[in-house]
Amino acid sequence: MMPGSYRIINYALRPAKAIERRMLCAAFERLHPFQQVQDYRYLGFGSIYFSDFQLVHRALGITDMVSIEKDVSAKACFRFNRPYRCIRLKFATSAETLPTINWRRRSIVWLDYDNRLNTEILGDIATVCLRAASGSLLVVTVNAQPDAEPTKEDRDAYQDQTGKSFELADYRFRIAKELLGEKLPIGTTGADLRGQEVARVFRDVIHNVIEEQISLRNMASPDDEKVQYRQLFHFRYKDGAQMLTVGGIFHHSSEENKFLACGFSTLPFIRNGTEPCNIKAPCLTPKEIRHLNSQLPQNGSSRKLSVPGVPDADVKRYAEVYRYFPSFSEVLFF
Amino acid sequence: MPSNPTPRGEEVLINASPTKEFFIHMLTRDIPLTRAILDLVDNSVDGARRLRLAGNYDGLWVRIEMSAEQFRIVDNCGGIPVDIAKDYAFRFGRPKEAKGTPGSMGQFGVGMKRTFFRLGRHFVVRSTTTNSRFTVDVDVDEWLADTDSRENWHFKFKELEVGLRVKEGDTGTVIEVDRLLANVKDTFALENFKGRLAEELSYAHALTLNSKLAITLNVLQIRHNPQQLLVSKHLKPAFLGKSFSSQVLVGHRGPPVRVKLYAGVAERSLHDGGWYIFCNGRLILRADQTATTVWGERHQMRAYHPDFAFFRGYAYFESDDGGLLPWTTTKTGVDADSPIYKAVQREMIEMTKPVLTFLGNLAKERAADGKQHPLEEAISTAHPMQVQAVTRPSLFTAPLPAPVPTGPRMQRIQYDKPAAEVEKAKQLLNVRSFTAVGERTFDYFMKYEGEEKE
Repeated sequence: MMPGSYRIINYALRPAKAIERRMLCAAFERLHPFQQVQDYRYLGFGSIYFSDFQLVHRALGITDMVSIEKDVSAKACFRFNRPYRCIRLKFATSAETLPTINWRRRSIVWLDYDNRLNTEILGDIATVCLRAASGSLLVVTVNAQPDAEPTKEDRDAYQDQTGKSFELADYRFRIAKELLGEKLPIGTTGADLRGQEVARVFRDVIHNVIEEQISLRNMASPDDEKVQYRQLFHFRYKDGAQMLTVGGIFHHSSEENKFLACGFSTLPFIRNGTEPCNIKAPCLTPKEIRHLNSQLPQNGSSRKLSVPGVPDADVKRYAEVYRYFPSFSEVLFF
Repeated sequence: MPSNPTPRGEEVLINASPTKEFFIHMLTRDIPLTRAILDLVDNSVDGARRLRLAGNYDGLWVRIEMSAEQFRIVDNCGGIPVDIAKDYAFRFGRPKEAKGTPGSMGQFGVGMKRTFFRLGRHFVVRSTTTNSRFTVDVDVDEWLADTDSRENWHFKFKELEVGLRVKEGDTGTVIEVDRLLANVKDTFALENFKGRLAEELSYAHALTLNSKLAITLNVLQIRHNPQQLLVSKHLKPAFLGKSFSSQVLVGHRGPPVRVKLYAGVAERSLHDGGWYIFCNGRLILRADQTATTVWGERHQMRAYHPDFAFFRGYAYFESDDGGLLPWTTTKTGVDADSPIYKAVQREMIEMTKPVLTFLGNLAKERAADGKQHPLEEAISTAHPMQVQAVTRPSLFTAPLPAPVPTGPRMQRIQYDKPAAEVEKAKQLLNVRSFTAVGERTFDYFMKYEGEEKE
């Protein structure tokens, strides 16, 4: 059996991920028109680093926290690494846990998977869509890396199964069909499943499932209980594998004014459509960062940002994310 | 001279009124024989409902007698009131303003007539209520032949008395159909058909039988299996009650639809596992194991599987206005596109998930062959309980699986070698099993090659 990915990558050290986490947290702060943010529940997959839990607890003061952990064989390890007493651990898969949660409380749910989108994940999304109280947020992160170049064995297996000579587009299509079944949008071809296109298709699949589930939820509900979904997040980033994050808020139609009062649209990374917010973390030294920070924010100033020896593209990227940029040093936190 | 392009008077009319033959053909073509008979039982049950609003039918009975010559159903369930007979029971389709029996099984205004036409060419209905008595006697061939008279779609009372005083015990309805159609005659002669009808009666009217209505088929008492789920201190079924207003469902005021859902485990049976759906007490879908209820990829769920043969789900839809319920006119399935069913189906899916998790773990526990069997024990120590006895909303509760034994993770190795060589190794190692050959040869290799070099 493979060790958990938490042993391969230290989640706390992935810069793009760290930026995303801070951006999400900045959006969570805006939920106060619905209720005090500290009274929300946070539900996530803390792994052993609990990076999101630390941030959410420290920045927002949320104390009702639930971490779902599927690796049942290392309970002691997860308990030991739990950073705060208020984090409750649920040892089971998310598909097993989510239907048993009491959903009456407004929740911020971050389903931060490291595997690729599949029907089980879509089942989790369906559960949240059915149950989430008005004012709740759902964020879903999945791996959207295109399939690796097929090996000799993969090609042979393909030929054995299909009786055809190897064809890359069809090979990719079969894998996607295996993962998503009838939820794969009609008209998707193998050619759509390379490079950034995988992320595009996955975003559409997640969005379609949310819309479908909300429509089912509303089907026999009185008007004042009908729920709307507003997409807020659509991130793509790559610390190693290509990752995709999609999410948004559920609210009763009658709470439209509360939604507007949140002012999500004033946050620069909010995306409510098919156009993603690409997070790129340039490699800069602490001195370069301080130098750039001293010139930021630009607030419409026409003066060009400058730092010796750093490409303009990296400077521009930094300016887009500087408020959320992580600083790493030898000592992380106590 | 060209004719006038705008037709006038009689000219504009194109005759689209159905012929009786066509109508009868369309009406009867899709209904299986057993289902047609169940429709008549539904009428009796509706009578019982009118008589006993509290729902205890003790002392009431329905007797079905069938032979190659005649079909007969007799009940003591209060009889058919004259106004219902006049405006509804014999009419094709249900008039909009008709006041039916609240919570009745008959809904579409087709059941009884459809059954008569499905069975034979002559029928007699005699019914007695506490204040009236009537007889309707119809020769279908004569009725079909009458295409001219102004009221040629009407049936007529042969006898009608009102303002009577009849004891409740003497009320009831007798229905006889004879001059049976050829295929019906043949089918009624089959012993297996009676068996099938008895089985369908016991399923479809399980709730009514449970309320002590006695149904017999050629003197044979119909028995039923009550809807039960296993309950113990550590094992509890899920229960959810929900109400949907007719305002939301159909846009006007009216009686609500009440839904009760139960999911849990029962005795293992591949054939009986699945979801059961009832509308106003009538089973319309039995042990469903398809995407019509909760199973399969369409619902992001696993397909039905032998491991899930313990699973039972029961969905009860009830409304005084049966038109709001998601049943089809033949009562052989759900109207899967109706908003209420789609909304409830999502709840059914969510309720099913934790039960399947438990059953998946149970299968793993059985396969692992470990020392502890908490899940197996939870089932073996539980006792069956009628679902109706569960009244408080609850989530499915079950014990957690036994902890995975600590120690290094194990990996199984499998390979093939020529039998003669393996036998030789077995002798050299002086062991009895092939497992031991594999383990010893591996240990031998690790002893000499697997140690860390100093």
